[in-house]
Amino acid sequence: MSAAVVHVEGDGSVKHALRRLSVYVLRNLRYYAIWAVTTLGYVAAFVAFPMLTGDAIQAAVDGAPREELTVVCVWLFVVVCLRFLFRYYSRTMVFDAAREVEYEMRNDLFAHLQRLPQSFYFNWRTGDLMSRCVNDLNSLRMLLGPGLLSVMQTPVLFISVFAAMAAINLKLALMVMIPFPLFILIARLFGTQMHSRSLAVQVGLGDLSNQAQEAIAGIPVVKAYAMEEEQQTRFLESAEELLHRQLRFVRINAGMPMIVGMLPAAAMCILLVVGGGYYDAGLIDVGDFITFSVFIFQLIFPTFIMGWVFALVQRGAAAMQRIDEVLSVEPSIADAEGAQDVDALRGEIEFRGLSFRYGRDAGAEALDEIDLRVPAGTSIGIVGPMGSGKSTLASLIPRLYEVPRGQLFLDGVDVNEIPLQVLRQSIAMVPQDSFLFSMSLADNIAYGLTETREADVREAAERAQLDKDVDDLPNGYATMVGERGVMLSGGQRQRTALARALALDPRILILDDTLSAVDAETETAIQAQLERVFEGLTVVVVASRVSTVTDCDQIVVLDRGRIVEQGTHEELMALGGLYVLLNEQQREEARARAVGDDAGAGVPA
Amino acid sequence: MSAEAIADEEEALGKAYDTRLMSWLWQFVKPYWAMIVFSILVVFPIFLLELAPAWIVKHGLDAIVATRDAAEAGAPSADIIDQVVDAGFIASLLEAPEGMATWVWLALVYAFVSVAGAALQFANMVIMAMTGQYAMRDLRVRIFAHLEDLHLGYFDRIPVGRLVTRVTNDVENVAEMFSAGIVALVTDIAKMVGFGAMLFIVDAELALATFSVVPLFMVAAWFFRLKIREAFREVRVKIAHINAVIQETITGIKVVQLFTREKRNYDDFDAVNAEHRDAWKKSIHYDSLLFSAVEAAEGLTVAIIVWQGTGMAAAGTLYVFVAWMRRFFLPLRDLSAKYSVMQSSMASTERLAELMNTEPEVKDPAAKVWQDAQTRELESQRGSVVFENVWFAYQGEEWILKDVSFRVEPRGKVAFVGATGAGKTTIIKLLTRLYDVTRGRILVDGIDVREMPQQVLRRRVATVLQDVVLFSGSVADNIDLGRLDVGLPEVEAAAEAVEASSFIERLPRGYQTEVRERGSNFSTGERQLLSFSRALAHGSDILVLDEATSSVDSETERLIQRGIHTLMQDRTSIAIAHRLSTIRDVDTIHVLRAGELVESGTHEELLALGGAYADLHRLQNEGQEAPPVSAPLAAPANA
Repeated sequence: MSAAVVHVEGDGSVKHALRRLSVYVLRNLRYYAIWAVTTLGYVAAFVAFPMLTGDAIQAAVDGAPREELTVVCVWLFVVVCLRFLFRYYSRTMVFDAAREVEYEMRNDLFAHLQRLPQSFYFNWRTGDLMSRCVNDLNSLRMLLGPGLLSVMQTPVLFISVFAAMAAINLKLALMVMIPFPLFILIARLFGTQMHSRSLAVQVGLGDLSNQAQEAIAGIPVVKAYAMEEEQQTRFLESAEELLHRQLRFVRINAGMPMIVGMLPAAAMCILLVVGGGYYDAGLIDVGDFITFSVFIFQLIFPTFIMGWVFALVQRGAAAMQRIDEVLSVEPSIADAEGAQDVDALRGEIEFRGLSFRYGRDAGAEALDEIDLRVPAGTSIGIVGPMGSGKSTLASLIPRLYEVPRGQLFLDGVDVNEIPLQVLRQSIAMVPQDSFLFSMSLADNIAYGLTETREADVREAAERAQLDKDVDDLPNGYATMVGERGVMLSGGQRQRTALARALALDPRILILDDTLSAVDAETETAIQAQLERVFEGLTVVVVASRVSTVTDCDQIVVLDRGRIVEQGTHEELMALGGLYVLLNEQQREEARARAVGDDAGAGVPA
Repeated sequence: MSAEAIADEEEALGKAYDTRLMSWLWQFVKPYWAMIVFSILVVFPIFLLELAPAWIVKHGLDAIVATRDAAEAGAPSADIIDQVVDAGFIASLLEAPEGMATWVWLALVYAFVSVAGAALQFANMVIMAMTGQYAMRDLRVRIFAHLEDLHLGYFDRIPVGRLVTRVTNDVENVAEMFSAGIVALVTDIAKMVGFGAMLFIVDAELALATFSVVPLFMVAAWFFRLKIREAFREVRVKIAHINAVIQETITGIKVVQLFTREKRNYDDFDAVNAEHRDAWKKSIHYDSLLFSAVEAAEGLTVAIIVWQGTGMAAAGTLYVFVAWMRRFFLPLRDLSAKYSVMQSSMASTERLAELMNTEPEVKDPAAKVWQDAQTRELESQRGSVVFENVWFAYQGEEWILKDVSFRVEPRGKVAFVGATGAGKTTIIKLLTRLYDVTRGRILVDGIDVREMPQQVLRRRVATVLQDVVLFSGSVADNIDLGRLDVGLPEVEAAAEAVEASSFIERLPRGYQTEVRERGSNFSTGERQLLSFSRALAHGSDILVLDEATSSVDSETERLIQRGIHTLMQDRTSIAIAHRLSTIRDVDTIHVLRAGELVESGTHEELLALGGAYADLHRLQNEGQEAPPVSAPLAAPANA
């Protein structure tokens, strides 16, 4: 049932990834068109410069008239200015294009992540997804920016330079260019090493960071068990390992440019030996000699850069592959082809022999042959031991997981045929972990509304018994909450989540063990209030405490994915089965805790 | 706090150099002074080897022109500079030996100079980086050790993430100073000055003309760099924001989808994403300007040299000018990038120095005090715990504990009950000296805990905390916690005693099974049993137990109850109890209310007393339909 993770390996996946990349590149073709033109201009200026320099020096040495020299120098000046312009535009264009692609792809990734079903998030860890959205996108940008710039430009540059030199003297040009192709060999030799060593440093740094994280987060235990020395020894080991890896990386990182730098030096030596001989033989002139040497000078930088670009391209291609993997996952929960034209729901829920398992390879059925009907406007309580499938059952109603066809109906319509928008706006669910976003309390409450209106927020907060707590907050409803905001207590968070759901004004309300972190007093108060709110709503209450569901119109008891008991509180109590057992167990535990801990309110979780 | 505020806080840039901080940092670099001296001294030969190639070519060109001039005009090329710089020794070096063509000889010298230059440069870079890395390893280890020594209160105030950043990113930043900061900055400037000076020596007039464009480009380069830095700052703030949004969306994806928020989220995201792109484009604009400008400056100087140089200098001199000017411009491109590195290194150094200057508030006694205390120790007192009129406040007069006194005899058992915030956890923290009492005193084995080294005290007391923290490593490692005197037999015996062995032995590799990401492969109940084994393997005869309230299935619950019973056997036990079974196990129950000890006695006595304890009990059992909630205890800072 899990979202199809495309396991594409080998060349196929690279091709697939590059095909996707090409779509983005083509969309920004105008940048690349201007870039191509300006690059040609740049290369022309690049080639013209040494030739003019040679000419000028030749003229000077020949003692040519001053005017002639001035003309050459003015040309030189013009070429320098043109080169400046071309260089600026070609760089800007290709880098801007890379930024555009990055921007579009990040937007697409984000939109895609929002569309993927819950089952996807079971299989993928947050850290992994983050790394793909952040690091891999970065590597990709480097591939498209400096990578593409060098890969496309450098060959043109070398060929043009060679052509210009060949025009002066073909044999000498050939001789001088000999060392440069060696670059490919060096890049092959060093490139992979460099990449793997830099990766090793990253991994080492990650290990060290994890260890520090662990030791600092676990400081109460470290201190309680006097583990300081042991921790320090372990940290020292990691630090040593990192040091070792860093030095290995430094050696290759410093060595590579040095060795690449030898190529132009070798070319220069060849020029001295061969070119000098040619001069003596009268085959070339002083100016030609200078032109050749300036060409060699100018090739130093592009050669250098190529050494770096080689690794960039490798990394970028791998990164694109990893991004492609995410983008290739088909969102398995989407509006069906023949979606029915449903405007609103009344709130009747019916399970017809529903069976469900998480993923194809999950061992047991999470839900097994569930038959259940909840008439519109009634309430149902779902209880059962941990892992009995209570939350799963509730989560299927708003289609958080892929629901098998023909097994779950709302108002008599297969849930798969109700437009998602309608479905999720008619159903409000308060999930188990009351996740709040880093925004103001008011915005969190109005999360499902199109805008934040104070009246709506206040009303919802009041209904969820949150209003009194808000008065105590530093900035009332404007207080920032969530990860980077004020720490709310577990109970406050749950009531905020409840307010968020009530603000939707839904037809079906699902409470997934919502009030477990609220103290008993508050729970009673909320429940009294809720009875009014519940009126006319279909309410599904998932609870670990039997006491929470006693007032529900009907109660089902789940055990290992099956409905084992069903009825009202009185009926179930009379039955003397699992329900009674659960009830007693909980009362016993409750009595024990009663003396240990009397309240849960105001406790930061 | 907004994303911007976070980014600002960690990126506040200030001075690029601070003498006080540098002298603080010096203590870590000092052991490697020889390497620093080497890298400073090696700059001179490197500089000479960088000068040489152009000079070799010049020599060849001069020879060409000289022979030509001699052939055509018969006038020898009178080069003054040759007499000043290319004096005797160097000139003789460049003279080809007998029987070898000048060009071949020059090529050989050129090759030698290039290789030697590259080798020295390589050595220098490696040694510089080594200095930095060695010093940083020392710094890192010292900071970590210092962190571990700090009192617990420090960790309540500062988020873990930020402290981790200190030992990772901040140290990396400081290391950058060595590989790309101060030394590179100084040598780059020295080299620029050197090349400039050499050009003036070779031909002052020509040099003056050439350098006329340099100030303009310097100003332009500096200006562009400033702009780039500004744009970069914006980029960093935006990307921090973007990543925070992605992270939050992934974590809260269920809520996003349940509340059909996708469209709005996408629009908001698109807006920041576009801002990020635009900030980048701004930086690209200036970066390209800078890049192209430096290239243009090089070209322009060549044009000036050629134009000015007519008649004054021969081809060789022109060549040297062109070549050296390139060298001169090379560092200019990233001079201010290095300045930025310095700035961020300094900011990191400051944060590190501040951390190192934080004194631990809980300190070990002088060795003498501990020796004296040991002589006073009485065998009869061993295993006893006494609180004498203990008062405690985190600050000022906000008392968490008020005049608490109690006594636990060796092998005695007490339990503390009371509402959240009554001060139960604080008692544990004071006993293990995670904090020091404000007034009164605490005696363990009849000795004031402040007279014992912390390590000794904490090895005397086995603590079971509410939150079970598991470390990476094997299950066995997590039980022995790295203590060499606890071997595998002890570990197994401990696990056996608290009935953890059955689930451990079912694990794929038994005791050697690796603990994943902070114990995510263990259930709540299993983690608790692991922490019991840990306490038992510790072997101390004083036990401090903070019962967890998390709900577990009934079978696990029974296992835990039996585990607790085993733990408390034959030990002085102090428990913060939530379980009836635990409460029945102890000799005395102390009831805490708002930091004061209000009642003490057995379960039955206290019920009969009809006071606070009875109230608590009755309120929860009869007062309402709904049984009370299993609420987690307050976070350590608030308890």
